[in-house]
Amino acid sequence: MLLAFLRLKKKQFKYFNHRIILIIFTALFCFIFPQIAYAYLDPGTGSYILQLFIGVLFGLLFTIKMFWGKIKIFFKSIFSRKKKDEN
Amino acid sequence: MKTNERIPSSFRDPSGFLFYQDGLIYRQINIIYKENYEYLIKSGLYKSLVDAELLISHKEIDVECANSEDVYKIIKPELISFISYPYEWCFSQLKDAALITLKIQAKALEFGMSLKDCSAYNIQFKKGNPIFIDTLSFEKYHEDEPWVAYRQFCQHFLAPLVLMSYKDVRLNQLLRIYIDGIPLDLASSLLPFHTRFKFSLLSHIHLHAKSQKYFADKTVNTSTRKMSRLSLSGLIDSLETLINKLNWQHQTTEWANYYEDTNYSEVAFQHKKQLITEFSEKINPKIVWDIGANTGVFSRIVSTKGIQTISFDIDPIAVEKNYLKSVENRELNILPLLLDLTNPSPGIGWENQERMSILERGPADTVFALALVHHLAISNNLPLYKIADFFSKICDSLIIEFVPKSDSQVQRLLTTREDIFPNYTQKTFESEFGKYFTIQNSMQVKDSERILYLMKKI
Repeated sequence: MLLAFLRLKKKQFKYFNHRIILIIFTALFCFIFPQIAYAYLDPGTGSYILQLFIGVLFGLLFTIKMFWGKIKIFFKSIFSRKKKDEN
Repeated sequence: MKTNERIPSSFRDPSGFLFYQDGLIYRQINIIYKENYEYLIKSGLYKSLVDAELLISHKEIDVECANSEDVYKIIKPELISFISYPYEWCFSQLKDAALITLKIQAKALEFGMSLKDCSAYNIQFKKGNPIFIDTLSFEKYHEDEPWVAYRQFCQHFLAPLVLMSYKDVRLNQLLRIYIDGIPLDLASSLLPFHTRFKFSLLSHIHLHAKSQKYFADKTVNTSTRKMSRLSLSGLIDSLETLINKLNWQHQTTEWANYYEDTNYSEVAFQHKKQLITEFSEKINPKIVWDIGANTGVFSRIVSTKGIQTISFDIDPIAVEKNYLKSVENRELNILPLLLDLTNPSPGIGWENQERMSILERGPADTVFALALVHHLAISNNLPLYKIADFFSKICDSLIIEFVPKSDSQVQRLLTTREDIFPNYTQKTFESEFGKYFTIQNSMQVKDSERILYLMKKI
C-alpha cells in the first residue's frame, strides 16, 4: 500500500513539475513578447525568431536523445560499481 | 495538348518553371539557380534521394526547347500519372507526406543543402508512395541560418495534421481555402486547450502563432541572429517525433461499415465482381476512376491487373482504410482520394488556375459509378440528365450501376424524404445516358434488382 502510494505521489509530482515548467516557459515568453493582435503583415519574421528561441531547447533535447544510450550506460556503470563496492 | 505553355501553378519560384511542349512536361532551370542545381547533383544529394525514391528523377535534355532568356538547363522530370492535392488526402497520406518532407530535409542537411520551401503541393503519390516533385526546392545550407521553410511546413503539414488528430478529421478541408496552409493563429484557436500542455505543440503551433502576430509589424535585423546546425537538427527531430506520434482515432461514419451494412447477398456481391471484371476486360483501360469506391473493393479488380486506379470516396474513414490497405499490401496502382462528387475539388489559387479542378485532371479512360447514382439522384436531388452530362465529361467509357426505387437501400433513402423523383426510373436512366453513351452491355446482378451497364461515349 505504502509503495503504491509513494509511486502515485511520485507520478503526480512529475506531472505537476512538468506543468509548472510549461507555465513558467509560457509566462516568460508572453512577458518577453507581449501579445498584440495585429493582422497578418509578415508572418515570416515571427517564425524566424521563434526558431532561434525554441531551436536552443530542441537542440539540447536532441543532444540528450542522441547520447541517451551512452548516458544510460554511464549511470548503469556507476550504480553497478557501487553495488560491487557494497558487496 | 497545349504547346510551349507554362503550367499555371509554376510561377512563384524564380529558380525556374514547368511548361508543356508537344504534350510533355519539362522544367526550365534559370541561371539564378545554376549554383544550387550543380551542388545538388555534384554533392550526391540528388542521387541519394532518387535512389531512396524520395525525389522524382529527371533527365537533362537539349536546351533548344527553352522558352525564356534566363534559361540555364531544361530537364524532363519523370511523369506523375495523376496529380492530387493535400485536401484530397486522408490523414495517413498527409502524415506520410509530412514525414517524407522531414526525411528529405534531414538528408539534405547531411549533404550541405536545405529545403527552401515546404509546400505540401510538392508531394505527389507515385506507385503508392509519396514522392517529392520539386527539384528546384533545394538550396545550399549556410551555417547558422534558421530553416526558411519552417513556417510553411507548420502551415502545410503540422497544423492540418494536429487539427485532424486533436479536433476533427474534416478540418483538412481548410487547406482548400488557405492555399498556403492553415494560418497558425486559426489552428491555435481551434485546438483544444490541453494541447498547450504538450511542449512540442505549445512551441510549434501556439507560441509560433503568437510570435507571428507579435513580429508581424516589426523590423528585425536577422543577420545578427544565428541558429546552430544542432538546433536545426533538434527542430526537425522534434517535428518528426511529434508527427510520428500523431494518430487519428476513427470516428464512426456513415460509410465505414458499408459493406457489412448492405442489402447484398454473397451471390449478388460475387456476380457484381464478375460482371465488373468482364466489362473492364472488354474496355482494357489504362486509367480508371472509381467514384464512390468506399474502401476500394471494386477498384482492386482493375488495380491488381496493373491498371492505374484512382479510388475516390466522400468518406474520410473509407479513404483512410483504403490507403492503409494499399500501404500494407504495397499496392502500386491504386490511389485512394477524398472527393465529394456533389462539390468536387475546384480550380483554386491565382486566377483559379494554380491547382486544377477534378474535371481538368480528366477525362479518365473508364469511370466506375457503382451504387452511386441513387445517392446523387435521391440524396442530392440531381436530375438524371445532369448526372449523365457530368459523366460524359469525365470518361470515355462507363461502368455504371442502376439501383431501382424498389431496392431496399433506395427505400431507406426515401424514408425521411418525400418521393419527388417520378423520373427516377430505369427507362429515364437509359434514355438520358443514351444521349451521351451507347449501351454496350447491361446485366442484372443476380439475387438483386440492380442492373450493371457498360457504356461507351458516343
